[in-house]
Amino acid sequence: MQAAVLEISALVLGIFLLLCEAFAGALDKRRLAYGGIFGLGLILLASFFVTAGPLQPDAVGFWSFYAADPLALFFKRFALATTMLVLIMMLESAPRIQSGLGEFFALPIFTCAGLMWMASAIDFVMIFVSLELVTMSFYVLVAYTRRNPVTLEAGVKYLILSALSTGFLVYGITWVFGVTGETSLARVAAAFSQPNLERAPALFGAVLILVGLGFKIAAVPFQIWVADVYQGAPTAVTAYLSVGSKAAGFVVLLRVLSAFFILPQVQRLLVAVAIATLIYGNLAALPQTNLKRLLGYSSIAHAGYLLVGVVSFSGAAVGFYLVSYLLMTLLSFTVLIVVANSAGGEEISDFDGLSKRSPFLALAMMISMLSLAGVPFTAGFFGKFMVFDAAIQQHQTALVVVAVVTVACGFYYYLKVIRAMYWESPARAAPIAFSQLSRVTMTGLMIAIITLGVYPQPILRALSDASHPVTAQR
Amino acid sequence: MLSEYLPVLLHIVVAIGFAVSALLVSVLLGKSGRTNRTKDTAYECGMVPQGEAQPRFSVKFYLVAMLFILFDLEIVFMYPWAVVYRETIGADKTILWSMLSFVSILMVGYVYALKKGALDWKN
Repeated sequence: MQAAVLEISALVLGIFLLLCEAFAGALDKRRLAYGGIFGLGLILLASFFVTAGPLQPDAVGFWSFYAADPLALFFKRFALATTMLVLIMMLESAPRIQSGLGEFFALPIFTCAGLMWMASAIDFVMIFVSLELVTMSFYVLVAYTRRNPVTLEAGVKYLILSALSTGFLVYGITWVFGVTGETSLARVAAAFSQPNLERAPALFGAVLILVGLGFKIAAVPFQIWVADVYQGAPTAVTAYLSVGSKAAGFVVLLRVLSAFFILPQVQRLLVAVAIATLIYGNLAALPQTNLKRLLGYSSIAHAGYLLVGVVSFSGAAVGFYLVSYLLMTLLSFTVLIVVANSAGGEEISDFDGLSKRSPFLALAMMISMLSLAGVPFTAGFFGKFMVFDAAIQQHQTALVVVAVVTVACGFYYYLKVIRAMYWESPARAAPIAFSQLSRVTMTGLMIAIITLGVYPQPILRALSDASHPVTAQR
Repeated sequence: MLSEYLPVLLHIVVAIGFAVSALLVSVLLGKSGRTNRTKDTAYECGMVPQGEAQPRFSVKFYLVAMLFILFDLEIVFMYPWAVVYRETIGADKTILWSMLSFVSILMVGYVYALKKGALDWKN
């Protein structure tokens, strides 16, 4: 079976759900979400039966746009798993959606198709088109509860800044095309290694493309939108933005950099960006009192750690870090949705005394916070360990020093949440209600975080053949 | 090294230069200052202007306009397709199926819009 079947079936699933929504007016819209979760589960299962092959540099036609290498398959599964979990979170936050619930459940499936195409894109045209598919569906999702002024602000900010960054990306692509006459990444890389290359315009194009991608992964100095958009968007969408959009940005970054690292300035630039992102994300998270904002700044900080892995040419470290980031971020956002449904707010003070009201939720939140901080025996620790190990092997000492100092800084604001849950007294005593599906999901995520913290081999094995495209060329 | 990009630079200089000079000329040569209230009113064929200059449109107008642009744009993709269709169809049927799948996705969008009442002007 060809890998392209996966995206097409996701697209068909999305269209099918939309038509169900339009034609079956009396249908309980939640069934669409269950249908979506089930369908994506089937596609995830099917992804283990598709044929993966190494990159063919001389491929023509469709295969010069689309790669079905192990790296692409790994990130396709990543996108599918993320979307399934996000749909479960959306079910939990469904009471807050005033209108268009059916489309709220159908849109993430189109986003998922876009994320999967992005994982396979090896041509600038393909990268651009799939990126747009992802971004367009996010425009709608971010502004979904538009009657709320905060959400409307988030939607407008995301629309304008995202469109601006897309402009930078396209302009960069035209410059690279102007220098090399190619859009295929492999051929661009070949043209960049020619001795008679015009360095200045090539570098200009490369930097513009990195600006566009820097926006997607929320790296400093393109992070301005993050806090407001994360706070304003519906929480399930925030989780999707911070995991799905970021992971897709990183897989494109890994592929694009395989062409650009031939220009030595690009690596120095990325080291500077990584240091700035680490410092900014961690320092800005310190004074936050709103948990969603805090997680927004924390996602900037995690983009910094991921960039450390990228500049150390370690695809395996980036991949593992993204998996651990997926688990802990989605777990914390699920708890946040459940607690916010009962408390009506997303402040850290709404978590006061959660351990007495619901020990299960408090435990889930504690595990995700410890993992985000990077405490040993959690997946987050092992992810950071791998990233730092890769950086040390590349002799990026300054980068590792900054990263380790900022990790210590992160302990303060993550543990602040745990302190509120276990040491403060609750404002009210009512137990918190949530669905059985969410309970199962949270339990699964907790088990996965702990398991990967002590036994990371399954993911490492899956990543071992999905090696970094850069190292493959060196 | 950058000499090949001189036309790009020239283009930028001409674009900025034109905008700046057009504004400057109108300030320097234009007879400003001789305005009065009657001169500033909108010209409506000699009639006394009535109502707002920017009336409000029904939001349905925007919806229909957006749908029009969406379905109008597909023609852009069909023209190059139609030009090469006759030459390629003999060797390979892919060109037919790819366009059919594209149009059927648009068709789903159209059916969805219709069913949702996007083209229903009265409600």
